[in-house]
Amino acid sequence: MNGLLDYKKANALMARYGIKSVGSAYLKNPEDAIEFSGGKPIVLKALTQKALHKTKSGLVMLNLSGSREIRNGFTKLTKKASRYGPYTILGQHMVKGGLEIILGGNVDKQFGKMVLLGLGGIYVEAFRDFALRLCPITRYDANSMIDQLRSHSVVAPNPRQREMLVNLLMAVSKLFSDNDIAELDLNPVILHDGTYDVVDIRILK
Amino acid sequence: MSSSHEAKRKYADLDPIFNPKSVAILGATDKPGKVGHAIMQNYIDVGFSGSLYPININTTGSIMGHEAYRSILDVKAKIDMAVISVPALAVPKVMDECGKAHVKGVVVVSGGFAEIGETKLQDKLVTISRKYNMPMIGPNCLGVMDIRARNDTLFLPTFKIDKPKIGGVSFVSQSGSVGSTTLDLISGAGFGLSRFISYGNAAVVDEVDILKYLSHDIHTQVIVFYMEGVKRGEEFVEVAKTATMLKPVVIIKAGSTEAGAGAAHSHTASLAGSYEAYDAVFRQYGFVRAADTDDLLDFAKIFDTQPLATGNRIAVITNGGGHGVLATDAIYHNGLTLPQLTKKTERILRKAMPPTVTIRMPLDIGGDADSARFENALDAISSDPGVDALMVITLFQTPGADDKVAESIIGYGAKREKPVVVVSMGGSYTKSHIEVMENSGIPVYSSTTAAARSLAALIGYARYRNTK
Repeated sequence: MNGLLDYKKANALMARYGIKSVGSAYLKNPEDAIEFSGGKPIVLKALTQKALHKTKSGLVMLNLSGSREIRNGFTKLTKKASRYGPYTILGQHMVKGGLEIILGGNVDKQFGKMVLLGLGGIYVEAFRDFALRLCPITRYDANSMIDQLRSHSVVAPNPRQREMLVNLLMAVSKLFSDNDIAELDLNPVILHDGTYDVVDIRILK
Repeated sequence: MSSSHEAKRKYADLDPIFNPKSVAILGATDKPGKVGHAIMQNYIDVGFSGSLYPININTTGSIMGHEAYRSILDVKAKIDMAVISVPALAVPKVMDECGKAHVKGVVVVSGGFAEIGETKLQDKLVTISRKYNMPMIGPNCLGVMDIRARNDTLFLPTFKIDKPKIGGVSFVSQSGSVGSTTLDLISGAGFGLSRFISYGNAAVVDEVDILKYLSHDIHTQVIVFYMEGVKRGEEFVEVAKTATMLKPVVIIKAGSTEAGAGAAHSHTASLAGSYEAYDAVFRQYGFVRAADTDDLLDFAKIFDTQPLATGNRIAVITNGGGHGVLATDAIYHNGLTLPQLTKKTERILRKAMPPTVTIRMPLDIGGDADSARFENALDAISSDPGVDALMVITLFQTPGADDKVAESIIGYGAKREKPVVVVSMGGSYTKSHIEVMENSGIPVYSSTTAAARSLAALIGYARYRNTK
């Protein structure tokens, strides 16, 4: 394992498989951030090789709007991030509300590449409501993964959302199968208004 | 090179090991208490009809009444299978002689190999097995039992373990202790055994070979598997895809609570441990997952005796109200439902049942129900198109229930149209009826929970077969 794939490269890789993530940009200074926000609320994240769990390390600032708030947030975040060594600041448009799920990939030493779907966010380990399948998965497998979740009626409340999730799972399975990746986390993926946004990506080579 | 050769090697032919015409026992001895003595004694006790050749380097010419040999190479006749029970260090030499004698398969009962860190000694056995293309089961195992062939390499004294009757369930156990205790229980579990195999260190013949062999074995209708792990994950999956479409494979994997290996870098890796991976593979490829050894026996019983059904509407007939309520709970807890009877069925039942019986699910036919009432209820309900399977709760403590009731249920079961399970519990009077029903192919459970779990297993498997 050689470490974390750069966010932009990860983003580009996902785009090749039709997986859409929330609009984002690397930001050099507070002025960049204000311009990127375009008057709408944004999230600022500090990316470092050292701190893998950004939320736990306090390297995420949510829902910043207006130039003053953004400028203050940017300054605070860079101060915190400098403790972890080299860092870059990523700005993302804020996705409000919705249900947080996780999609991921892991290489099992016995069976090989496996994909995961679960109830997501920062409490994944606490809820442990997830399903795993060996890659590459079929649509039958994707549907049975959804059915296996205790939260299946919340995660896929209607056929349209189920279809969207099945397609997303198929894309993640394909991406993971095709590429030389050791671990993959899309967490959280926010389900809202009949669509989804991948808010955080972590790909370990 | 060697790894690609490994991946492509052909699957072991286990016929000569399960059904040999002639057997050599290496390490056979007259001294009671020795493993080689117990194995020899077993072959004599079970009445093995083929030729038996005791081999012992120190023999003076006869062991337990059979002509004995100092080496397998001294035997002039053809030998299909050799059971090896000599000290670990002596195994490579005698096994090589087996190869020279064109033995078709060996079971190495002896311990003292990889399980205690002696991997190099074990590797020697693997090399010999490959050199002569002679499949090896073990080392460090109980070996095989095939009741049809009266072939039994187990070194367990016959008076200590009940022999199962002949049937369609084959039982595979990596562990010898789980194997022997479960085997003892199978004899009273209401189904018959086809083949038993305990494969120990799996140095050559492993779970992939065994699953492949049993999936194509005409004497095996149901496979029951206790495993601690697989050695060749990808090939296991390949073989499983076919095996589970041919017959049900009930499986239990030990080690569900093992601690995760090292710190994970991602949420996914921290959730997706080794046990979770096994569980996922079992789900994905149609295995019937058992939670414990009770499940293994319960599930084997329903698969061995009942037709598959994909619908989940379970009709309950009971001669005790309380157990009917428990059954309803158990049914819904296991993802099954009670059926809505058709108007026609309700009319037939209303006519056939006394006024004290309320026509609804679960159908409580009363503590005074006799065989005629059971039969009427079974006929009407099993013909209802909205019913997929039946659970018949038969409490023999009630005044009306007797051997005629058991006969009625057996009579229905003989038609094998829709799956039926019976729930019955109690003392000696009840037990005698349970035995009669089970001998006639009716699976009887001592709780509504076990009955509902088993039905859910049957239906889940049938659905997998149907949708794949």
